[in-house]
Amino acid sequence: MALRFAHLLTAAAMALVCAGPAMADKIRIGSPYPTTTLDPIRSANAGSIETFGQLYSRLLRVDETGALAPGLAEKWDVSADGTVVTLTLRDAKFSNGDPITADDVVFSLLRVRDTPDSAYPAPMQMLDKAEAVDAHTVKLTLKSAFAPFLGNLEVFNIGIVSKKDVEARGDKAFVENVVTSGPYMVEKWVPNDRLLIAPNPNYWREGYPKNDGAELIEVADSNTRVSMMLSGELDAAREIPWSQVAEVQANENIEMPLEPSTVIYIVLMNQTRAPFDKLEGRQAAAMALDTAAMSNAVTFGAATPANSTLPNALKFYDPTLKVNGFDPAAAKAALEASGYDGREITILITDEPEREKQAVLMQALWGQIGIKSKIEKTDAGTFWTRLTEGDYDATPTWWYNETTDPDLAVRWSVCGTCGNKSYYTNYENAEVDRLVEAGAAERDETKRAQIYADIQRITTTEVADIPLYYPPFANAYSKKLTGLRMTPALQWTLEGAEITK
Amino acid sequence: MTDVVSPAPVHPAAPRFRHGTIEAALGAALLLAWLIAAFGAGVFAPYDPNALDLVAMLTPPDAAHWFGTDHLGRDVLSRVIYGARIDIWMGFAGVIAPLAVGVTVGLIAGYFGGLTDTILMRIVDITVAFPFFILVIAIVGVLGPGLVNYIIALALVAWVAYARLVRAEVLVVKRLEYVQAARALGFSDPVIILRHVLPNVLGSITIYAWTDAVMVILAGASLGFLGLGAQPPTAEWGVMIADGQPYVLQAWWICLFPGIAMVTLSLGFILVSDGLSRRLRVSA
Amino acid sequence: MNSITFIGRRLLQIVPVLIGISLVSFFLIMMIPGDPVRIVLGPRATEAAVAAMRQEWGLDRPIWAQYLSYVGNTLTGDLGQSLKFRVPVLDLVLQYLPRTMFLVAYVLVLSLPATILMAVIAARNEGRWPDQLIRVISILGMTIPVFWLGVLFARYFGVKLGWFPVSGYGEGFVDHLHHLFLPAVSTSLWLAPLLTRNLRAALIEQTEADYVAASRAKGLPEGYIFRRHILRNSVLPTLNLLGVMIAFLIGGSVVVEIVYAVPGLGALMVGSVLGRDYFVIQGLTLVYAIATVAITLAIDIFTAAIDPRTSE
Repeated sequence: MALRFAHLLTAAAMALVCAGPAMADKIRIGSPYPTTTLDPIRSANAGSIETFGQLYSRLLRVDETGALAPGLAEKWDVSADGTVVTLTLRDAKFSNGDPITADDVVFSLLRVRDTPDSAYPAPMQMLDKAEAVDAHTVKLTLKSAFAPFLGNLEVFNIGIVSKKDVEARGDKAFVENVVTSGPYMVEKWVPNDRLLIAPNPNYWREGYPKNDGAELIEVADSNTRVSMMLSGELDAAREIPWSQVAEVQANENIEMPLEPSTVIYIVLMNQTRAPFDKLEGRQAAAMALDTAAMSNAVTFGAATPANSTLPNALKFYDPTLKVNGFDPAAAKAALEASGYDGREITILITDEPEREKQAVLMQALWGQIGIKSKIEKTDAGTFWTRLTEGDYDATPTWWYNETTDPDLAVRWSVCGTCGNKSYYTNYENAEVDRLVEAGAAERDETKRAQIYADIQRITTTEVADIPLYYPPFANAYSKKLTGLRMTPALQWTLEGAEITK
Repeated sequence: MTDVVSPAPVHPAAPRFRHGTIEAALGAALLLAWLIAAFGAGVFAPYDPNALDLVAMLTPPDAAHWFGTDHLGRDVLSRVIYGARIDIWMGFAGVIAPLAVGVTVGLIAGYFGGLTDTILMRIVDITVAFPFFILVIAIVGVLGPGLVNYIIALALVAWVAYARLVRAEVLVVKRLEYVQAARALGFSDPVIILRHVLPNVLGSITIYAWTDAVMVILAGASLGFLGLGAQPPTAEWGVMIADGQPYVLQAWWICLFPGIAMVTLSLGFILVSDGLSRRLRVSA
Repeated sequence: MNSITFIGRRLLQIVPVLIGISLVSFFLIMMIPGDPVRIVLGPRATEAAVAAMRQEWGLDRPIWAQYLSYVGNTLTGDLGQSLKFRVPVLDLVLQYLPRTMFLVAYVLVLSLPATILMAVIAARNEGRWPDQLIRVISILGMTIPVFWLGVLFARYFGVKLGWFPVSGYGEGFVDHLHHLFLPAVSTSLWLAPLLTRNLRAALIEQTEADYVAASRAKGLPEGYIFRRHILRNSVLPTLNLLGVMIAFLIGGSVVVEIVYAVPGLGALMVGSVLGRDYFVIQGLTLVYAIATVAITLAIDIFTAAIDPRTSE
């Protein structure tokens, strides 16, 4: 017994001596969203896509002003008819020292499009052929002219991976000794807890990253994130609860700039079920919701009430659109006209506090015009399965757009022929579907603006979904940190961040 | 340490008997007060517990709202009063369901012994060696969240403690003379179990059950924190505390009052349990 | 000799338990609605992508076929891969096992002395003010939800006073002690009262036992009687309860793990159930079952050592 105790003591002493390297120089970022995989095509969930941007460079990048700038591609050229894009790669290397060639680019792009279980192949749908002309030249042929294609080359899952390594090691290539092309490489991954990233010495951008890496920590509980931020255990935190924004802002060491996002909160309604199968029923539901009051109640005034089915940070967003505004009397009349029989509907929600608040508000406001409802809370697993299978009546939820171009957004949220039945609402309007394709093919900016204005007008009037509000990012940053922000497309500007400790 | 364990005179039994009665009475009074609040919620609650008031969100306690309002402007006092219905129901149902299962299994296993006992006890082993939260989350997942399903999950998980307790008692009672005598007189097994064995094991079960009610309410609150508790907008204390948690610093009243409610109700259960156990000890 | 057969028999008993657990967990988890593949790939994945991944992972096969291959793999020591993280289940479990063990041990080190102290004081002063005070403190400790207390502790001791970190596990032994202090205290605050109530009741019961009166009649000193007889016989029921609680802590400290951002086995378990990460759930229940049996066995052996009557 005594001997065993001695062993324990020795072990303890050794643990002390072997205490790991100090991590004080890493930027510590807390987020509720977990990194579940390091393979850019395997997930489209919030945490993972934040990580992908740090590990894998894309051909183009978005600069501080929001404009497209050179990434791995130094130059690009679009043919006169808009169907061929030729890109010239710069001399760049993977983290293991191998050169990044046109072969790697072709492999990475086709992998997104062709892998059967690729999580988000949409950005590459218009890609017909990808060819390596020579080691530094990639020729991409599109199925037809497609205005947003260059922007899509910047989406989170279009990061370039090493063909040689992935073909040799398969899934393992994204678990240990991960070969990266972005500003950072993987130092240590503790799934369900944290990801440590270190600067990639071979990163192509001269002088970047400007820091010693970062520790991306998963902190599920929002109170804990605030405590960690206040006690200096984090340098940046995602999603400070709206109720604590004021308290955090009051702290002299922390700033909360509330950056604009492409996030939009909406209410989805299953349009095969009464009363939402009738236009009047949906309009009644929309006019019953006091979105200004809801936005204020949930975000304490931080968000802007929404007026359109598209996020307000997108190109061609129409701020002048005003339809189906809060009007209980009109809502009551519309509900009557819809022939609604008083059936109790179910508001399906996940277990996040914000969702619960929205649901309770919806229930009360709908109750005032005579729509009876009960709230059913499920965990996220059941929720997404039921939503994608169309097994729900109504739900408050959110989405965001990867780029500022509205093409992917309209395909995701209001298009009946784009594969997801207009975000699983079963909304379908042939004119909208036609406009979606027209908007993608059109290369004249004024005409595109008109097309997307039409789409917003039609879908908002017909209530494809009920727009609730546009929230900013409630991120908190330590004042010791400079240069770290989140782009509207959910990417950290981590490589340019500096920290003084 | 030595001071602590130094001898103290043994107290005579009589005042302890009185203590037991006082405790049980005090506990019963607390429970009764909450029962009255629960049944008379419609009379006592100043507001509709689910009425929103978006103008008066997070109002501190004042004359209009004695316990303040929550993050949706709902009156906390009214929600605490209405919550008594849910929590008292949860405490009782969450104990009676597993108790019924556990007592039945324990009686059968202990009385019959042999293969029946072995099989039932292996099932007990399996249930014990299963992580509680996984089982409850899985069952709630299969049946859907909500309090009734939580109770069903408890009935499927928490019966084990009762089964073990009852079985152990039955093993002792079985050997008592009058049970042997009943058997010799040719009484059927069900009659012996119900008439002679069950009454003897009820005492210790009851004491455990009152304490168990507290654990049921607390575990329910934890589920509320994990988002698997009562469905909104139901006023349930555990969920109220969990919902109020993001506001704990700006609006302490959202958490504090349901918290006090939970403590006092638990106190009632525990005092009854303690009082009963003392009385039982003295009369035994 | 006798104890070896005792241990052997207990180890044999674990076999049907493990089979039962694997059956229950497998079929129960499969019954939960919610598709793990949909969760992993996210809402933007196409139906075709979901179907492809289901096929790749064999999730489209009949459930009994999946169960058989699961059992087969487990017998060869292969616990499979996490659907969510695509890393071996064993690696995940081993990653979190030390932390959880550390936390549990820490909790015991804090709770047990407090339990014995409080129970003895309460029992020796039964019905008087120290007893009542301890009872009220116990009830408070048991009823205050950990997630509520956690926020207050973090803000006061972590942010305001800066004494303890509010999150994480730290590096090295002393750092672990420092980081896990608040989580361990938060857990001890409900564990110690629970054990105290149990031990106090046993102590009082033993004090009134016949043999104690007999010892007293023999003129043995009270302190000797207390240590030698009363305390020794009272710890047995509490030990059993302790065993159950240790087992519970391994998987049940999830709330503390979330509140203090120190993910361990509990957070992994709950996360896997919510993410329908089938193979991780299977692996964890297996590890948990083995741990439970081991703890029970250890307590039994310990009990037998104190009280030879139980090993008969």
